[in-house]
Amino acid sequence: MIGSTLAILGVLVAIFAAVAVKDVLVSRRKQMRYNLKNCLVSYGMMMPAVVLTFIFVLLPIIYSLGYAFTNFYLLKPNDIDFNGVDNFKQIFESIRSKGDMYHAICNTSVFVVCVVPLQIGLALGLALFVNRQKAGVGIFKVCYFAPVVISLTITAYLWLQILSPSEYGLLNSFLKLFGVAPKDFLRDPDRAMLWIVVLSAWQGCGYQMLIFLSGLTNIRKELYEAAALDGANVWQQFLHITCPGLRSTFLFVVITVFVGACRVMIQPMLMTGYQSHTVTLSYYMYVQGYSYRWVGYSSAVALLMTIVIGSITLLQRRLLREKD
Amino acid sequence: MKKLFKTFGVMAMASMLMLGSACGGGGTESTVDKEGNTIIKIMFHVDEKSAEGQAYKKRIDAFNAAYKDQKIKASASYIARTAGAADYEQKLTGMQNEGSLPDIITFDAPNCASYVKSGLIYDISNIVPQDVQNDFISLNKYDGKLYGLPIQESSAGFYYNKKIFADANIDVSGYTMENPWTFDQFKAVCQKLEDAGKTAVDMRLDATKDETATYLLYPFIYAAGGDFLSADGYTANGYFNSAATQSGFQFIKDLVTEGYTSYAIGATDFFDGKVGMYLSSGWTIPDLDNKYPAQFPNRDSWGLLPYPKGTAGASATGSWSFAITDNQHEDKTQIKELLLWLVTAESSKGITDATGMIPARKSVETNYAAGSPEAVLLSQLEKTGRERPATVGYPQFSNNFRQVIYDMKTKDLATVLTEKASALQAELDKLKGM
Repeated sequence: MIGSTLAILGVLVAIFAAVAVKDVLVSRRKQMRYNLKNCLVSYGMMMPAVVLTFIFVLLPIIYSLGYAFTNFYLLKPNDIDFNGVDNFKQIFESIRSKGDMYHAICNTSVFVVCVVPLQIGLALGLALFVNRQKAGVGIFKVCYFAPVVISLTITAYLWLQILSPSEYGLLNSFLKLFGVAPKDFLRDPDRAMLWIVVLSAWQGCGYQMLIFLSGLTNIRKELYEAAALDGANVWQQFLHITCPGLRSTFLFVVITVFVGACRVMIQPMLMTGYQSHTVTLSYYMYVQGYSYRWVGYSSAVALLMTIVIGSITLLQRRLLREKD
Repeated sequence: MKKLFKTFGVMAMASMLMLGSACGGGGTESTVDKEGNTIIKIMFHVDEKSAEGQAYKKRIDAFNAAYKDQKIKASASYIARTAGAADYEQKLTGMQNEGSLPDIITFDAPNCASYVKSGLIYDISNIVPQDVQNDFISLNKYDGKLYGLPIQESSAGFYYNKKIFADANIDVSGYTMENPWTFDQFKAVCQKLEDAGKTAVDMRLDATKDETATYLLYPFIYAAGGDFLSADGYTANGYFNSAATQSGFQFIKDLVTEGYTSYAIGATDFFDGKVGMYLSSGWTIPDLDNKYPAQFPNRDSWGLLPYPKGTAGASATGSWSFAITDNQHEDKTQIKELLLWLVTAESSKGITDATGMIPARKSVETNYAAGSPEAVLLSQLEKTGRERPATVGYPQFSNNFRQVIYDMKTKDLATVLTEKASALQAELDKLKGM
């Protein structure tokens, strides 16, 4: 492990050095005065950040990429063999046979498709509400943002109390007032994921609300005044001033919410445990890698997931660039 | 220029220090300290400050005092399992990878097979004297060889509220380990509790997010004559979904369909007097003694019943154990001294006094009063205790078991068992080549 780490470090240092040498050569060719002092200070300043990025970002990615093509078993770290694309074959076999990987993909897709519009819609609605210059709005801002700073674990337990199948559960107690029999919300295969969507959107929308709010403050007030003078109603103002003004903010929020949604794990883990109707890709990856100890297989899932999420994110960025 | 190189040097040194501290932490330390003591390293799975951690610390300190003249010194580290078993295992495998495995580790009994197959733990069949082995209630064996010595034992049973039982006119005094109650008698008691307007029993069907449901419910399948895996631990098909296994799960499902239990019982419903019986391990005894004086002011207000008997008797067992690791130290003579010290009757008593669990050794003087909950658990453990399946794929087994418990509420049991047997078989097949 240390040997391979040093080898990777060596390659990166070589790349780093090559960039520096190229920098010097280009400067000389253009007959520019190359200031060695400034150059060394700059590289020196960069080095701590580069080292940290190397240790905590690059190294895990490179190792994970490598492990995806091995039979790495957690309890046999000294006995890792290259197994080609076997892990990927197993993944596709699990999908074909409608195994847990298939359920994980379906559940994650449902989650992403539902949570992205819901969370963004809620965030935008809240941002528009608190953007009004009225007394007491600050309190609302704090209230809406509060779930973001509360640990997801605590939030999940809070919702477990709300959705408790017991007749004393908060939601069941409320439904009882209308004569509805107690329901086991999280055990219902058709609706459990939707409850996780609701919890996640509620928990996360406060953060996006702040981002939208900063976007709203950048829209000039004069535009609204002019539109009002021209007889535009609130809806028309929203459609023709607010929406175009928030487009870049909106696309940024879409990307971040989408990526976050693809990685959902804590909520199903705490609310239902590992069940076929709520297992997500990240949860599946965690169970395969840590509980079942198949680090190689889990890394292959992570690699595929990264490729898919990365591709969609790049597509979204491309859309953003084209429209700008 | 000097200043420039000084600045650059500091930056470079800071970076190298960061790299060093991140990659470091491993390495093999010397096994002999400056004073000439041979250092035996041991790793515990609990926080040093916990009651259990303190009990271990006391025994380690006592060992160091006793073996001072022989120049043997134990050095303990405590890795609390903050993020579950995987977190602890990751530390272990990291150490194995670096060649810095401690000499003795603690491990959860169901992991014995996978640790053996991975070369993590060492065969101690010839290290532990036969008389010591015979004194243990259970041992961690795999393929006929001894790999672990239990630190303590555990068992579970049905805690019951004596007031609710008296109000429902139920007499269970005749149900003892000598005269165990049957599945039918269990249901009859449940029916009487239901007639009295109470939820009969909390079977802990909601505890499927972790090992709790497996630990508490697997004995019902053995008691019904069922099984989970073949003797070698690699075949699930035909065992996990056999007719006898299904009848064990069916018994649990019937308790739900007949309204005796449910998946919706609140965590404190038994302690609040809403439920007649509560399936749990020995760790509930201190809670009933101390935490719920309104419902359970003293030990006359509650009792403990053993698992009911089907075609056979079976009850939950299993806890953490000590094992010698298969590390680079070939001479295990001094390591053996520490291992045997930690499982002496005195150590066993000291540790179980702190944890409230059952001592692993028969010779430990327990002084449990006849008929007390502790005596019931000990007697049950000796008579019907049956371990969870010994398989390399234990996590996969446990996960599938819990999914059966979860799914059988809404799905056809036979279908669920066939589905999970196939899923488990696929996982076990992957492990065959390891």
